Amino acid sequence: MRAIQADGRPMEVLLIEDSAGDVRLTQEAFRIADPSIHLHVVSDGKEAMAFLKNEAAHVHAPRPDIILLDLNLTKMDGCEVLAHIKSNDNLKTIPTMILTTSEAEADVVRSYRLQANCYLNKPAQWDAFESLVKSINDFWLTKVKLPQPSHVE
Amino acid sequence: MITRELGESNESDAKYRGLLEAAPDAMVVVNQDGEIVLLNVQAEKQFGYRRDELVGQKVKNIIPEGFAERLIADALRSAEDALAQQIGTGIELTGRRKDGSGFPIEIMLSPLESAEGVLVTAAIRDITKRKKAEANLLQKVEELNRSNEELEQFAYIASHDLQEPLRMVASYTQLLSRRYKGQLDSDADDFIAFAVDGASRMQRLIQDLLAYSRAGTKAKHLFDTSSEEALQQALVNLRGAIEESQAVVTHDPLPNVLADEMQLIQVFQNLIGNAIKYQNPGVPRVHISAAKNDEMKWIFSVRDNGLGIDSQYFEKIFGMFQRLHKREEFAGTGIGLAICKKIVERHGGRISVESQLGHGSTFRFALAGSERES
Amino acid sequence: MKAAQNGRTKEVLLVEDSPGDVRLMQEAFHSANPSIHLYVASDGMEAMAFLMHEGIHVHAHQPDLILLDLNLPKMDGREVLARIKGDVRLKTIPTVVLTTSDAEADIAKSYQLQANCYLSKPVQLDAFEALVKSINDFWLTKVKLPQKRQSG
Repeated sequence: MRAIQADGRPMEVLLIEDSAGDVRLTQEAFRIADPSIHLHVVSDGKEAMAFLKNEAAHVHAPRPDIILLDLNLTKMDGCEVLAHIKSNDNLKTIPTMILTTSEAEADVVRSYRLQANCYLNKPAQWDAFESLVKSINDFWLTKVKLPQPSHVE
Repeated sequence: MITRELGESNESDAKYRGLLEAAPDAMVVVNQDGEIVLLNVQAEKQFGYRRDELVGQKVKNIIPEGFAERLIADALRSAEDALAQQIGTGIELTGRRKDGSGFPIEIMLSPLESAEGVLVTAAIRDITKRKKAEANLLQKVEELNRSNEELEQFAYIASHDLQEPLRMVASYTQLLSRRYKGQLDSDADDFIAFAVDGASRMQRLIQDLLAYSRAGTKAKHLFDTSSEEALQQALVNLRGAIEESQAVVTHDPLPNVLADEMQLIQVFQNLIGNAIKYQNPGVPRVHISAAKNDEMKWIFSVRDNGLGIDSQYFEKIFGMFQRLHKREEFAGTGIGLAICKKIVERHGGRISVESQLGHGSTFRFALAGSERES
Repeated sequence: MKAAQNGRTKEVLLVEDSPGDVRLMQEAFHSANPSIHLYVASDGMEAMAFLMHEGIHVHAHQPDLILLDLNLPKMDGREVLARIKGDVRLKTIPTVVLTTSDAEADIAKSYQLQANCYLSKPVQLDAFEALVKSINDFWLTKVKLPQKRQSG
């Protein structure tokens, strides 16, 4: 089933990830899952907030349908980004998923407390990673009812 | 006080007074002090006074407010122009009869040069009937709108609330079929199969009914829309059907129109989907074009080489759930064209079909062009 | 994938008042993953009592996942959602709205109240079963869930 909005728009995914290697893997996995998905990448928390608030270079950035957020970021810690998103009335309705290497219970609990929509461990094996991204696509981009941004005409 | 005695004065005066008397509206001439110096028989009738009761009276007695303001607005017109002009462009005030009762009037004023200075001629029309008709029309329109809204709400609620129990029937008959097929006797298998089929059909009907009621309720604003982009999106949505039938879809350049984009996509999708579905053996061909008509509207044409439609059904096919074929021949509940009709009419247009059995059909619908023409 | 994460069986709280839907869910979960324990609360009050370990639910386990219908008698599903996400102990439990409505207003409101996600019950049985499979696959085998507190 194709990931496509009712009005024909492609799905927009924002990946907040500073490891170039992981970015590439994620791009590959999404391309395999569904090439029509638009994957946007920012490498730190500040840029992420600029993207989401349509500031500076990101003034024309689309509103993401989902956000994938790594906890280990430079400049602004991933949890801080999560807190910013979830305390912003306009942004908090965007499903924000932690996708990170840490399995620490403290990180898991803190993320859920900050209302991360879910917490996902980055698998070490490519097969498992590909399967995870497929799962994300299947569940979030074809089955879940996502909030619609209100139309500004 | 300036008066004109009967029998006095020159030829142009007489001409003027002749015009005044013959005028179908009440005519009143007012001097610079706001006093009535001349009036006609219509004025007597409208206001319920005898002529001699009004001559010399302040015009304020019969038109309590607004006269002076109107005068300023109309000061530049000549008497002949004012008299000749349709009163339809006048303003609305209230006139007062001798018995004190008020009535709605429309007045046109013009200056009149005379030896005694500038006078003002007022043409006064009693618009009581017109106002009543307007109020009636407005009321009818409001009633109609309300009734339409109620109908749409009803369709929405009915189909929405019907889905729940229907889901139970459909799901459990399917589960029964799955789990017990072949385990009960063959009658049971048949009975269950009929129940499952009935439930599925009901589900599709309700979903279509919901789609139909939504086509109207979402009366969004109309925007400048590229009908070519809408067509492209409809074709993307019809990808599967087009590939499967190997249909060839072509189009001329299409204009920008005033439309709700999602609904326009739906119209294209339904019409082209039908064109592909109801096909003859061979390659289905569909062509979309648009031409401007003399009312400056765009007439879209969706032409196919399919089965065609018998002329006796040209109206029927746009009805809800109307089908011309058996379920076994063609799938579908027959709501597609009803939805197209509803959408097109919501856009202020009409939809129609031209066809010959065995020789394809052309569906036409009209939409208003947008100012920014492509 | 049927193996339970970390070896423990997963527990799901279903808050649903329609017995027909409850049974459908039980059948669907059973074929997706028979090892799951599905608990059912048929209204909002019972759901809160279960989660707060009150009354007959004093020995209840905290669920790994909550599936919440919005249209409930007594306490409306939206209120249940607000209460769960307003409670410091309960807000970390992934709460998935699973309801018949697909109205934008309901969807927006649920996300504002921080529902983890919103799902609309499919009309067709096979789509329903596929959805339950998907829920099991994503939330009960792939997602890392917060470890459970032991009940008192």
